Formats: sequence, C-alpha cells, structure tokens
Amino acid sequence: MRPFKYSKTSEASKAVSIVSGSPKAQFLAGGTNILDLMKEDVERPDQLVDITRLQINQVTTLASVGGKAGVKLGALGKNTEAANHPLVRQQFPVLSQAILAGASAQIRNMATNGGNLNQRTRCPYFYEVSMPCNKREPGSGCSALKGINRMHAIFGWSENCVAVHPSDMCVALAALDAKVEVQGAKGKRSIDFKDYHRLPGDQPEKDNTLEHGELITAIDLPGNSFNKSYYLKIRDRASYAFALVSVAALLETNGSTIRRASIALGGVAHKPWRAYEAEKFLAGKSATAENFRQAAELEMKQAKTLAHNEFKIELGVRAIVQALNQALES
Amino acid sequence: MNEPKNIGQGLDRIDGLLKVTGAANYATDYKIKNVAYGVIFKSTIAAGEIATIDLSEAEKLPGILTIITHKNAPTLNVKGGIRGGALLQGPKIEFFGQHIGVVVAETFEQARYAAQLVKVTYRNGEGRVDFEKLAKEAELPKEKDKADKRRGDVDAAMSSSEVTIDAVYETPIEHHQPMEPHSTIAVWEGDKLTLYNGSQIVNGAQSAAAATLNIPPANVRIITPYIGGGFGSKGGQWANLVLTAVAAKMINRPVKLALARQQMFNSVGLRQKNVQRMRLAATKDGQLTALAHETVTHTASDAEFVEPCGDCSKLMYATPNSLITYRVFPMNVMLPTYTRGPGKSTGSFALESAMDELAHKLNMDPIELRIKNEPAKDPSNDKPWSSRTTVQCLQDGAKAFGWSKRNMKPGVTMEGDYLVGYGVAAGTYPARQRDTSALVKLSRKNNEVEAIVELAASDLGTGTFTILAQTAADALGIPMDKVAIVIGDSQLPPAAGSVGSVGAASFANAVNDGCIKITDELIAKSGKQFFKRPTAREMMLTEKLASFESRVDAKPPAEAENYSVHSFNANFAEVWVHKTTGTIKVQRMLAVTGAGKILNPKTARSQIIGGNVWGLGMALMEESVLDPRYGNFVTRSLADYHVPSNLDIGTIDTIFIDEDDKVPNKLGIKGIGEVGIVGVAAAIANAIFNATGKRVRDLPITPDKLI
Repeated sequence: MRPFKYSKTSEASKAVSIVSGSPKAQFLAGGTNILDLMKEDVERPDQLVDITRLQINQVTTLASVGGKAGVKLGALGKNTEAANHPLVRQQFPVLSQAILAGASAQIRNMATNGGNLNQRTRCPYFYEVSMPCNKREPGSGCSALKGINRMHAIFGWSENCVAVHPSDMCVALAALDAKVEVQGAKGKRSIDFKDYHRLPGDQPEKDNTLEHGELITAIDLPGNSFNKSYYLKIRDRASYAFALVSVAALLETNGSTIRRASIALGGVAHKPWRAYEAEKFLAGKSATAENFRQAAELEMKQAKTLAHNEFKIELGVRAIVQALNQALES
Repeated sequence: MNEPKNIGQGLDRIDGLLKVTGAANYATDYKIKNVAYGVIFKSTIAAGEIATIDLSEAEKLPGILTIITHKNAPTLNVKGGIRGGALLQGPKIEFFGQHIGVVVAETFEQARYAAQLVKVTYRNGEGRVDFEKLAKEAELPKEKDKADKRRGDVDAAMSSSEVTIDAVYETPIEHHQPMEPHSTIAVWEGDKLTLYNGSQIVNGAQSAAAATLNIPPANVRIITPYIGGGFGSKGGQWANLVLTAVAAKMINRPVKLALARQQMFNSVGLRQKNVQRMRLAATKDGQLTALAHETVTHTASDAEFVEPCGDCSKLMYATPNSLITYRVFPMNVMLPTYTRGPGKSTGSFALESAMDELAHKLNMDPIELRIKNEPAKDPSNDKPWSSRTTVQCLQDGAKAFGWSKRNMKPGVTMEGDYLVGYGVAAGTYPARQRDTSALVKLSRKNNEVEAIVELAASDLGTGTFTILAQTAADALGIPMDKVAIVIGDSQLPPAAGSVGSVGAASFANAVNDGCIKITDELIAKSGKQFFKRPTAREMMLTEKLASFESRVDAKPPAEAENYSVHSFNANFAEVWVHKTTGTIKVQRMLAVTGAGKILNPKTARSQIIGGNVWGLGMALMEESVLDPRYGNFVTRSLADYHVPSNLDIGTIDTIFIDEDDKVPNKLGIKGIGEVGIVGVAAAIANAIFNATGKRVRDLPITPDKLI
C-alpha cells in the first residue's frame, strides 16, 4: 500500500474543500472497498479524508409527495441500519431486501449508504494490476472483452469496458427513483438516480457523474404508490456472492391490472439497468405470467452477450418473471 | 489392554478453549524479538524469462533491509524436496504468479509497498495454458503407478452388452485455501535454523528444508503445534518456507513471511483439472460386464503430479472387464498436489455419476445396482477385504435417510416452486498405518501420576491432541487431564504425517504401543508377578518411582499387506432446485462411514461434516478459472473463488458403522480424513438429476447449467 495522508473532520464543507482541492484525495467512510483496493495497489489516493464523524447518518421522514411520505437515508448510515430501519422496512421493503442480499453481515455493518453507491466493479481484471484495464488505467485496453467474462455486462457496454456495477442496494434505489443529494465546492445539488451511475462509453474510468470532491450527503427515497415489490438475486452461492442477475420489481396494481411497473436489473450493466421496455409493456396490462414473460423477453431482446455470459439472457427473462410473480404475492 | 474409558467417547477437543480464546499459537503468532517481515512478489507472465528487475525505487524506501531475487539468492538444491519450484534460482518463469523475489523490511507495510514498486520486464515465452488445446498432446505419465491397468476386453464387452454408458465428466482446478494461509517465521542461531511453520508432515518439512538449504537435517527444527487447516497443501512444503530461511540468513535476523490470500492461488499447489471418460457395460438385470475409467489431466511444466482418479473404479465394483488409464500433459501452471481425497473425490464424481446414469437406464434403484455388483474380494489385486462396509453403509443410510420416498422418475417431484431429488453415491479410501515413534514419560508426586507423551505428529485442527490423550489415558490408566500430549516439533521422536488418512492410525497406535511398552517395562523392573495386569499408574505408585520413560518405534502390522484395507462410505443428498431460476439448495445430507474404530465420535463427526461441506463446494461452486490467454487465475480471491457459506449448508447427519477390524492395526483404526469428501459431489449431482432430469457432467453445477 502506498503511503497516504490521513485527516479527519466533522464538517462536510471542510471535507469537500480538502478533497476538491487535491486531485488524488478521496473520502474515507466504511472503507470496505477502498482499503482493499489500496492494498491491491488498484486505488492510489495520496490523501484520505475520514468523514465518519460527519453527522449525516440518520434515517428520517421526508416531506410527502402526493400524500406519500418519503424517507431520507443519511449517507453515513450503515447498510445494516438502513436495511433494518422500520421506515425502510415498512415503506420500501424492496430496498431492505436488496441491501440484505448484498455482501455479508460483517461488511454491511461497516459499509455506508453513500459508499455503497461508490463501490467499484469486481471485474477481476480491474483488480489484477498487471493486466490491461481501461477503468484502472485509461487507454490500456479491456482484458475482459475477449477474456473470461461470465460475470460481465450484457447491456450498455462498450469495447472499452464490459464491467458491471456490483451493488444490490443500487438496483433497488434505481427502481425506486431515488435521488442522490450531494455537496460540492460549488454548492449542493440533487442527482436523479438514473443519472448517477454512467455507462462506460469511452470513459470507463468514470463510474458516476460526481465531480471530484463532491460528497454524497443523503439518499432520498420519494414516496410512491407501488403496492407490490420484491428483490430477487440469483447467484452462485446463497450468501456473499455477486449477482449473476438480480431484479428489483415494483408494481402498482388495481385488482389484476398493472397500473405501473418499475423494474431494475443488477449484474447486467455498468450501472443498475432500468428495464424501461418491460415497464412500458406492462403498464395497463393484466398481471399474468404470459404478460410477465413477454415483458421480460422484450427487455432482454436488447442484450448483447459476450463469450461466456450468453446464459444471462434466459436467466434474465426467468428472473424478471419470477421477481414479478413474487412481487405480486407480496 | 485396560478397559477403554476415553477411547470411543465423544469428548470435547482439549485444545478447543485455547483456539476459541486465541491463546493457541499458530506459526506466525510466536513472539520473536527483532523479527523482520518478508513479502513475496510474483511473475505476471506464465512462461518466459525475466529480462530486467529494477529495484531502484523499492530500495530507496525507508525500512528496507534487503530484496532477494534470482540475482542474489544463494544456490539452493532444487531437488531437495520443496515442491513447485519458484526458489529464485534463475530468470526462467514456469507459471503465472511464480515467486520472483522477496522484499524484507522492518515492517510488513514497508515490505508490501516496496514489493509493489519493483519493476520487472520479461522476455515472453510460448505459454502452454490452454487446457482444451493441449489435451490432445497428453501422454502416459512417467509414474509407474499410472500405467494402463487392463483386465479382459472392455471394447468387446461394450459392443456386446445390452446396456452401456459412455460419458465424459469434468472437474475443474480447485484450491485448498485453508483458513490459515501458509506462514513461516525463520530464526537462525549460528548454523541452527528454527522454522515455525504449519506442516502436516513435521519430519518431511524438516528434511525438505534441510536438503534444499544444503544443511544437515539435524540443524533444522520445525515447530508446528497448531495448524489452521491444510487439506494437502501443507503436506509437501513450498518455496515460501525456504525463502523465509534464506531471507533470515541474508539479513542475520529472524524473518516472518505470510502469504497473502490472493498469493495462495499460485504458491502452494492446486487440485488439477480432470477430464474423465467413463464407460460402463451391463446386462439387462444390472450385472456389470465392463468398467473403463480414462483420465486426461495436466501437470506443471517441470514436474509431474497426477491425481489417481481411477482409484475408486479399480475396486468398487465386480466386473470381468476393466480398464484404468491416465494421460497427462505439461502446462505452465502451479504444480498440482494432494488435495482432500486425492483422486477419490474427483474420480468418484465420474464413477458414481456413471453408476447413477446406468441405474436410470436400467430403471433400477441405484442402491440395488451397487449392491448387485459388490465384489467379494478386491478386483484390482485379488486380495481379500480386511472388512468392507459398502453394503451396510448403503442400506443403513437408505433407512436413516428415507430413501424409499425417492421417486425413480426424475423431474416430477415438487415442493412449492422447487423440484426435489434424492441422490446417493458410495466411496472408499485406503487405510494405512505408517512408522511412528513415541516417547512416554511418567512422573509421580505423592499419589499423583502424570504422563507426557511426545511425538513429531501434527494436528491439522482435526483433534489429534484429543485422540492421543484419550489413547494414552486408557493405555496407562491415568485420567486424561493428567496426560500432556506434546507434538508438532521435529525434535520429538519421528512420526508420520497428518496426510492420506494415516494420522490417527499411525499416531494413536504408536502412543498405545508406547504405553503398553512402558507398562511392560515397569512390571519387569519390579520383578513381581501379577494375577491381574496392573496399569502403568499402579506400577508407578506401588513401586514409588519418581519418574520413568520409554520410547517405542511402532510399525504397521506385516499381515495388513495380505489384505485390501479400506474405509468405505455412502453419501446421501436431498436437493431442491428452483424450477424457474435454477437456484440449488442442498436441504439434507447424510454421510455413513465404515472406518473401523472411531476414537472420538465428536471430532470424527466434525471431520466428516467438513468433508461433506467441501464436497458440496466441489459439486456446486468451487472452480479456479484460468484465463487461457495469459495463464492467470481470474478467480483470485475468496470473493471470486466460492466456498460454501453457512447459508448454503442444510442439515448434515453422520452415521459411523460399528466395525471391529484389527487387520489394519492393533487399535483397528482406518482413518476418516479423506473419505468424508469421497462421493459427496456425485451424490449431489445425482440428486440434481433426480430433481430436474438434467445430467450435469462438468463441475461445478451452477444455476446457469440448469436453466
């Protein structure tokens, strides 16, 4: 691990100003990802600003939108706390399920909500510093494109990067149309979740649309009218494995009619993938197995597979159908 | 012998409290003054040569004591018994991740940072890393034991038999990954070297280190009281052991060197990939007429190791025509080595899957098929069995597991959204006792007699301390808490290793012999005659001796050679497969084991459960994936290389068959370390077939293979 400067502050503005003013500085929160990456020489910050003393770890009620109250998750709240908080469990069970599907109990106890958004891909070539990787070293090439890519993207990838975003929590946040509250040197802003993470394009080194030095202060979950939801994760072992495919499914139903669906997929793209095609198809349709399958197939039709992940298309179809079925039963 | 009070009891392990409180010292827990830290750095190509090594940036860092590469490493004896090369003896690269240097520094962090700053350039060679492309070059292994074994005419039987199976089963590269990564502290005092190092074979580590370092074995002491698992990877020793000694010599200070988890994938051996073609032929009523088991595998580029995948097929079933063959080709990968149930765990996946396929084709219960083909003697050498419990394991297991509820028709039994299936497989592992010496020391204070028993055995974490204390206590007539077991030090009387299921038989019989011998000597010394044989404790008290000791050199009984001596087992699994997503849950497993005398049913149960857990990992998740372009493992941490998590494990039950077979050794111990994993993967794969109607012949069986 390369030597780095360590500082701590209890003021958000100070943390932001230190990191903004130093191109290789980074924030340190739970440390569950960045410290591993530093030990492996993948991340090489020259300064870490410890933000764990900032008072932004509360779960609070958010002003209601259209009669439904939302919830604000402080960025430094632990994943475990978010997953088990009564407000989250009652109003956004899909988020609770997604968080608990991720990592291990020990990691969730350390990992923060804001940090979850900013965790980096688990592409093995990203970790193997002797191998080309455009995300780690722009311009060096993508080792996974023609390499072992069973775990990699089927949507929205580019020749420059086929990595996937590893988070489960973010898949639920995408389906919930969360908002990411950030504070930067130029002030505060709110980023729609769909715009927070990026597709790789020709800048795979950029995972998200944060400016350097911008700090996540909260994640807002706006109130919604979905009455059914489920998070399904399919993986190679029952715990502590990244998704082959995961699905956050939300339905607003009236009797057997679907008024609105919101579906996001994990393990398939550089960002949580909103299944807009499936959502569009389902709006106004009956909640039947046949409609679920058609919606899923419509979505997966856009997929482009690599040498080892062709199975994700059929698995994706099945996962969407299964998640919708289980949502319906919820 | 005295009435056994402790042997056969399911007692808690005597080192348990030390372990759960952290008081048990593993190799690098020893507090050594003035210790420096070593960090290994590795090649990033699979084949070729180091062209240049630039140490200038690394050397400039504070705290750096030395950096060892092939340019300044001392000449070592590469044929001294250290496995897997990588001893820094030249610029040649044989596999990706070969050790190419060691940084030694005042702190671990300094050493690791410096290792990251070393710049290496290579002259790339032609890497042989693509298994699929190279497999056709496979040739007969050099090892005599792997020559073709042919009985009768398999081809003729295949073409004339009513029912046949011809299928290929694949098992991937796997890694041992014990909880404790391989770690060493080396301390020189003059020309005497002490190595604190987890070693399954204490004397083996001593002789390999000494020979490689070109010093007499008497100058090397191995200390290894507690081991955090090994599974074969700490049986032979690897370059990290000797490089720690080299580093300590070069800086004239003790050095501590622990491999990082990621480095474990190309430092300490692996289980090789095997492609096994199975052919079975049978009559309509299920009598086997032919069995062929042909294995193609890889080894390292510069040394041969071939897992004996055909071992179960040699002797499990009676058949007039049989063929066992091996073919091997070199690859630029780490040297394969012994891995739990070597050859038997992988080979039984092929054999026992094929038997299940045959049973299905015959529309016959797979247990009935196995019993029907039970051999009266060992088909591979015509020797009588000392005892064989296959039939009893299958029958008792079937009863306990509720096998009668199994639906013969696959793919139709449902519980909610899950397809449910039952599977069975049989297995075996040879039972052997190896030469082991033991020193028994008795001392008396007033009316208290205490014993110290010393031998260079090792405890992998399986309960060796406990079973030896039980054995000695019974044989001496002393309470267990007055018996101290001292093991894990090469200065003690030489012992076999905790490998190949020989540990318990070798160690416990030596301790038992030693205790009998010391009792004999005490009786003889007293010059008295006894109507009832007294215990050693009674003799120490009546003769008022302050202390007495005796050493024994125990040997396996010669007549064991006239028999085929094996542990046998049967594994049962109930598996649920989600009908839509292919997600697999192993709800229940049952392991029935006939392994002779079980010294401690509690530690034995734990060991069998451990074998079943690895068998489940082997069946469903474990795979080290090699990039066929570069020869690196893309599964390079325990986040990518999946071993079972708690949530993957359902109920595991164990049954031990009550068996009294004194042919293998005086105490009738056959050994359980290896047999616990044999057959497990096949039982699960067979249950998956029974659940889904899908036969998966390449491990691991992940959800994508079932949709």
